[in-house]
Amino acid sequence: MNLRKRIIKGLIVLTLALPLSGCWDNIDINHRVLPVVLGISKSEGIFHVFLQISEPVTDRIRIKIVSGSGRTITHAIDRLSMNMEEHVDLLHVKIVLLDKQFAMEGMSESIVDFMRARDISPKALVAICDEDLPSFFDKVKKGLESQGTILFDFFEKNAGWNPQISLTRVWQVYRSIHSFTRDVAIPIVRSGKTTAIEHIGSAVIKNGRMVARISPSETLLFNAFNGESTQGSIEVMNHASVLITANTMRNTSSMIGDTPYMKSTIRLKVVLLETRGQPTNEMIREELDKLLTERFNAMFGKIQAVKADILGLGQFYRHIIPRESLADWREEYYPRLQLEMHIETNIQNTGFLNTP
Amino acid sequence: MNAFLQEVKDALGRNDDFFVQRQTLLEQQVTIFGFATLVDVTSTLSIFIEQELSARASLMEADAFWHTLGTVEETNVRTAVSAIQQGCVILYLVDRNRMIVVDAAQKELTRSIDLPSNENILQGPSSSFIEDIDTNIGLIRKQRSAASMRVRTFATGREQRKKLTLIYDEVYAEPAMIREMIGQIEDHSDMEINHIQHVSKLMGFPKWQAIPKWNTTELPQEAVSALLKGKVVLFVDRIPFALVLPNLLWDMFALDNDRNYSLPIMVIIRSIRLVGVLLTLLAPGFYVALVAVNPEVLRIEMALSVAQSREGVPYPAIVEMLIMLVILELIIEASARLPKSIGPTLTMVGGIIIGQAVVTARLVSNLLIIILAATTIANSTVVGFQNSLSIRMFKYVIVILAALYGVLGIMAGMVLLSAYMASLRTFGVPYLNLSCKKGEMKHG
Repeated sequence: MNLRKRIIKGLIVLTLALPLSGCWDNIDINHRVLPVVLGISKSEGIFHVFLQISEPVTDRIRIKIVSGSGRTITHAIDRLSMNMEEHVDLLHVKIVLLDKQFAMEGMSESIVDFMRARDISPKALVAICDEDLPSFFDKVKKGLESQGTILFDFFEKNAGWNPQISLTRVWQVYRSIHSFTRDVAIPIVRSGKTTAIEHIGSAVIKNGRMVARISPSETLLFNAFNGESTQGSIEVMNHASVLITANTMRNTSSMIGDTPYMKSTIRLKVVLLETRGQPTNEMIREELDKLLTERFNAMFGKIQAVKADILGLGQFYRHIIPRESLADWREEYYPRLQLEMHIETNIQNTGFLNTP
Repeated sequence: MNAFLQEVKDALGRNDDFFVQRQTLLEQQVTIFGFATLVDVTSTLSIFIEQELSARASLMEADAFWHTLGTVEETNVRTAVSAIQQGCVILYLVDRNRMIVVDAAQKELTRSIDLPSNENILQGPSSSFIEDIDTNIGLIRKQRSAASMRVRTFATGREQRKKLTLIYDEVYAEPAMIREMIGQIEDHSDMEINHIQHVSKLMGFPKWQAIPKWNTTELPQEAVSALLKGKVVLFVDRIPFALVLPNLLWDMFALDNDRNYSLPIMVIIRSIRLVGVLLTLLAPGFYVALVAVNPEVLRIEMALSVAQSREGVPYPAIVEMLIMLVILELIIEASARLPKSIGPTLTMVGGIIIGQAVVTARLVSNLLIIILAATTIANSTVVGFQNSLSIRMFKYVIVILAALYGVLGIMAGMVLLSAYMASLRTFGVPYLNLSCKKGEMKHG
């Protein structure tokens, strides 16, 4: 191959690369609006969409809340984008905030659409708002003036997250819609009186519908069950408060007849933070075990009653129950499940050593 | 006038520095000729006279005396002319019509051994190669005095005979590779060599190569360490550095002088170079990709601050990047061209343009300047100037691919680059080989 042919071929390849790449659709980052929070509510078949947009202006970040409505979420966002001077890029949405009413009516369609359209990252967190979205955003906006990411930081593990808050992503909700054996818990927030946001517990979501609610301390146990409770503190009745520094989980599942049995052991390593009176470690341990077991049983009773398997216990029976009947897990087996919970605590009266 | 003398005069006589000197040595007429600009005539003549005196003292026959000066040859105009051009003088024995090629006292036309001017060396032997090929070979012999080292010298070119020296170590070098190289040089011994591209042509390398087939070094220490790795060192007369063949990927990161530090320090220094190469290649590409194509990859805080820094910038990221990269290349090129006394002006002006004015004028973003500075600094960590040129070029490929396909394009660019590097071979040694020592080559 001589040189001229080579050069011509090279030029053809280069010129083809341009029309084939579609690169004229690329929009620079400063021409995109980057909403961090997407709020969705629904009334009478019409979706109302709220976007919390952080806008860089000269040397600070300004918060803007825009809203639009439409028959579908995409349509609503499209109308918003049309009216805005920049392109709306939902890929940076970190939190999808759902109206409580909407969540109770069922949000599975919207979640499926998010996964299909792929314009919202599947890693975005889902949360439920316990008040009217307009008033929530209004109040939050006042608290947001300084920093654009406050709502997001609230859920961020290396920022404001606490083990009392459940963390559930869009893909997990999507999974729960399709899975036979797993449901999710979604945090519920509202605007706070002294803080910007207030966490008031978790919603139990079954097949994309909110069916019950658990309190923050129950959510801590839920997180402990998933191995994510480190640094959560627990108040032991009257005597002390402790901080969880490590937790491990062991489950054994068995099936006798048609009744699933489960033995769960949560091992907690806790550090004493405050004591009142002169309780011995033994006393605190006993009280802690009792308290947590009771609390766990109460929570479990609650979610078992609504047939929502947020702990994912069905996962442990996947190898026992045949595939055909697995679809009946929530309706048939789960309500009969006998769960025996042991909480083993190891109290370390050393003070909290690994202060960051 | 004699026929031979006349012919030589015809060939060279039109040069004003050509001298012809008649002399009587041991009662015989001789004619001495050569170039007065290459040969120190006075001291050459005085050497002849001294030798004549000592010959007289020891009652030496004339014939034996001639042999002490050099080989008595049949007259041959071609040999005579080329010897004169290389700085010898011809001693013509008029009565016997014979000539002797004598190595005369040379005019001092080469600089003395100096500090390296293109490579910096920290705490290491710091004499560097010069233009004179014999001095260079001597430096190598001084650095390593081993019996297994072989020095092969060739002369190439029809009009001028350029000296080319191949040095290798028999113990370490792969014999097949050496045979191939020597064969290649011998087959093309009529090629003229004036610059490195000619050498490349002589060695039969393709013209369009983005990565040089050899490493250049000015330091005897590096050249000797290359010999110990089974490589071949090639010297060309009047080229003041050694060409180390073949060039391998690892040479971009490793300098023999690193071994003058303790092992952990050496590892850290080399990994810094690795980081430097990756940074040079990837940083501009990532800027373009993350700003224009895939901003979702950034964390939201980062995305906001990037967006903020680009507020009001009129160009798309790729144009912004290319403009600044070109300006930077211009600065680098200009500072290589300028005399040392004007150089600082350029640095200052360049610094003002890049550091301040463009950003204040909102032509480019702050972040871009940071990326560019990091890229340029990182680029200089590579060992060998030739290698840094290649890396500098490859980053454009990655920037353009990044502008088209974003992060995916960067990956594609890296794959492309790796594929290209994997396709390179020098005398049978793959570029990605870690070693080309004897016996380690095929499974390297």
